Amino acid sequence: MASVTLEGVKKIYDNKVVAVQEFNLEIKDKEFVVFVGPSGCGKSTTLRMIAGLEDISEGTLKIGDRVVNDVEPKDRDIAMVFQNYALYPHISVYENMAFSLRIRKMDNEEIHRRVCQAAEILGITQYLARKPKALSGGQRQRVAIGRAIVREPAVFLMDEPLSNLDAKLRNQMRAEIILLRKRIDTTFIYVTHDQTEAMTLGDRIVIMKDGFIQQVGTPQEVFDTPRNLFVAGFIGSPQMNFLKAKLVRTGDKYAVELLGTSVALEDAKCKKLLEKNVQTKEVIMGVRPEHTVVRFDGSDNAIESTISVNEMMGSELHLHVNTIAGDRVILRLPTIDLTDEQRAQLSYGNKLYFSFASKVVHLFDPETEESLLF
Amino acid sequence: MAKKNNIPEVDIIVDEKAGVIREVEPDKKLRSKKGHERRVNGAIYAILILMSIIWLCPFVFLVLQSFRGESGGQVAYVIPKQWTLDNYAFLFQGVGFSLQTLVKDLPNIILTVITNVLGIWGMVAFLRRKPKNPIEKTKGNLKAAALVFGVLLLINFMRCVDSTNCDFVRWFMNTLTIALFCAVIQTVMVLSVSYTLSRMRFKGRKLIMNVVLVLGMFPGFLTMIVLYYLLKMFGLTQAGAVPGLILISCASSGMGYYISKGFFDTIPKSLDESARIDGATRFQVFLKIIMPMAKPIVIYTILMAFMGPWGDYVFASYVAFGHKASYNVAVGLYRWVNTNDYQGYFTRFCAGGVLVAIPITVLFMALQKYYVEGVTGGAVKG
Repeated sequence: MASVTLEGVKKIYDNKVVAVQEFNLEIKDKEFVVFVGPSGCGKSTTLRMIAGLEDISEGTLKIGDRVVNDVEPKDRDIAMVFQNYALYPHISVYENMAFSLRIRKMDNEEIHRRVCQAAEILGITQYLARKPKALSGGQRQRVAIGRAIVREPAVFLMDEPLSNLDAKLRNQMRAEIILLRKRIDTTFIYVTHDQTEAMTLGDRIVIMKDGFIQQVGTPQEVFDTPRNLFVAGFIGSPQMNFLKAKLVRTGDKYAVELLGTSVALEDAKCKKLLEKNVQTKEVIMGVRPEHTVVRFDGSDNAIESTISVNEMMGSELHLHVNTIAGDRVILRLPTIDLTDEQRAQLSYGNKLYFSFASKVVHLFDPETEESLLF
Repeated sequence: MAKKNNIPEVDIIVDEKAGVIREVEPDKKLRSKKGHERRVNGAIYAILILMSIIWLCPFVFLVLQSFRGESGGQVAYVIPKQWTLDNYAFLFQGVGFSLQTLVKDLPNIILTVITNVLGIWGMVAFLRRKPKNPIEKTKGNLKAAALVFGVLLLINFMRCVDSTNCDFVRWFMNTLTIALFCAVIQTVMVLSVSYTLSRMRFKGRKLIMNVVLVLGMFPGFLTMIVLYYLLKMFGLTQAGAVPGLILISCASSGMGYYISKGFFDTIPKSLDESARIDGATRFQVFLKIIMPMAKPIVIYTILMAFMGPWGDYVFASYVAFGHKASYNVAVGLYRWVNTNDYQGYFTRFCAGGVLVAIPITVLFMALQKYYVEGVTGGAVKG
């Protein structure tokens, strides 16, 4: 149990590629932090630096109060779960889990107690005598996690632990990790490229791109107030819609004009814009599919569009529509209240109207891609 | 159902050569296919058998000559007219065996105690190996215990053999000593070098690998003269030829890293990383994680390291030049037919050749499985 502090951490590989830079983050004791980002964004590199598998080029890394930049991985009191499990193929599951304890010369009874306990938590007691080869993917992943928890480490690192599993198993293991976290209350750092995992698991999410931290915040924060265009697009599924619009200032009031409609912004947003002294300008407007309102007939402030794709998800429909300006927009429509007539109308090429409330509008500067409302 | 049964079960086969479509009953078709397969296999086997006969010819000739009773150098027939074991008996003439060597003087006593205690302790440890955890069943490792016992026996036996008056046994012991030392030292060196080159990243790693590869392309004989003078400076020629030859074989052994590095490259790096996070040092990772997984390549390396000096003639002949007691088998046997009475010694030479071939054949047959695995396993990634 320990905090982890990264100050100005930078990683330059031998071939002069900068993988991570200006990484400042303080992870509190017993916090579950998720690093998320597209592949190549430096999230795994950062994790490996914390683990001690990569050298830190610049900056300091502290675990607890101790600077561990030059400390060997084995002395950092951390455990790590790898994407490909990295189980030792020549020894049994039991010995896999006991390996780290044997290296530490712990006595046999204590080893047995810990291994059995971990196996119990993960439900792998009946497989202890087997070799990893004889296990399925999900079971192997459990063993890998078990190997980490017997150590009772101060910090628990997980590098895309679920990405080798199939979709169903992944959902199941995700739930189990949440349960596990409650049972072995310690600091977790979790790396993933899947925003759903990030949202469901993390106390805080660190969104990264091209080696830079884009935003740090709770799942709710990054969802509600994305700091820039990248975060807005990355978090949330289906992806946020981006439309070219015009922000118009009249006195202290702001409104967004878009395809002949105009939506006045509410006071809280106006206040933020005023603080930044934003003038009338072109902006990129973002609105999440779930925040749109679908209308079957044109009315005030509704934007006309043509349906191009209709994805049936069961409880809801994802409608991909094109506006007259050529923007592609995804709309989300719950199926429960739809009449048969309305369903019939939702086919390719038909007209559809949609609108949105000013409360859910995100505004981004087209040049800097930063949020105007952050 | 009934209707279905009435449909005749025929397959249509397109005879490409004739350009016609024939109807063949499936049974017949199957049979003809099988027949074809059999013919092809037959041809392959015939060729293989022929080739192995050609390959075996020299060896059969050697064995037969070694049992020939009538004297003379080469003769115009292969099957001996008189069969005898005299040639073999001659090889062991004058050999002594004295268990007293084990307790002759203080150094010998100490050596005896050390080897025996170590050997017996190792055997007992393997036989009575306790299960590491309550889940696994107890099982003594009989094979490993037998191996330890064999090594112990071999060491003691080698020390008891008195070969002062028996050239062949002396040469045989020389060769065995060189080969055994090389097998141990060279294996350790090759495996550590290849593991290092496979896993560590350091300045000049690529350069070292390339330079070594290029150096390896030069024939070793180029260094012969230099090596001779170097060894002579250390007093490791003639009388000191045995340690000298061990030194020569082991000195550049790290250069043979290529195949085992290829093998190590196929073992995922995350295993090392995982073990290091689990608390193992680099050496522990190598010993406890990588070595057990790399069994085939370890055995392959041991075999290669053993065979090199076992069949060595060129280096052995000039390092030991003129000093009969330091010859290895190859050199000694050649000297027999070269300088001694050729007529009288040819059959003895053959007998010696057979005896030299036996240990290596046994070793190969026992470890064949691993040997092939080692070569092909290493070849996956170069």
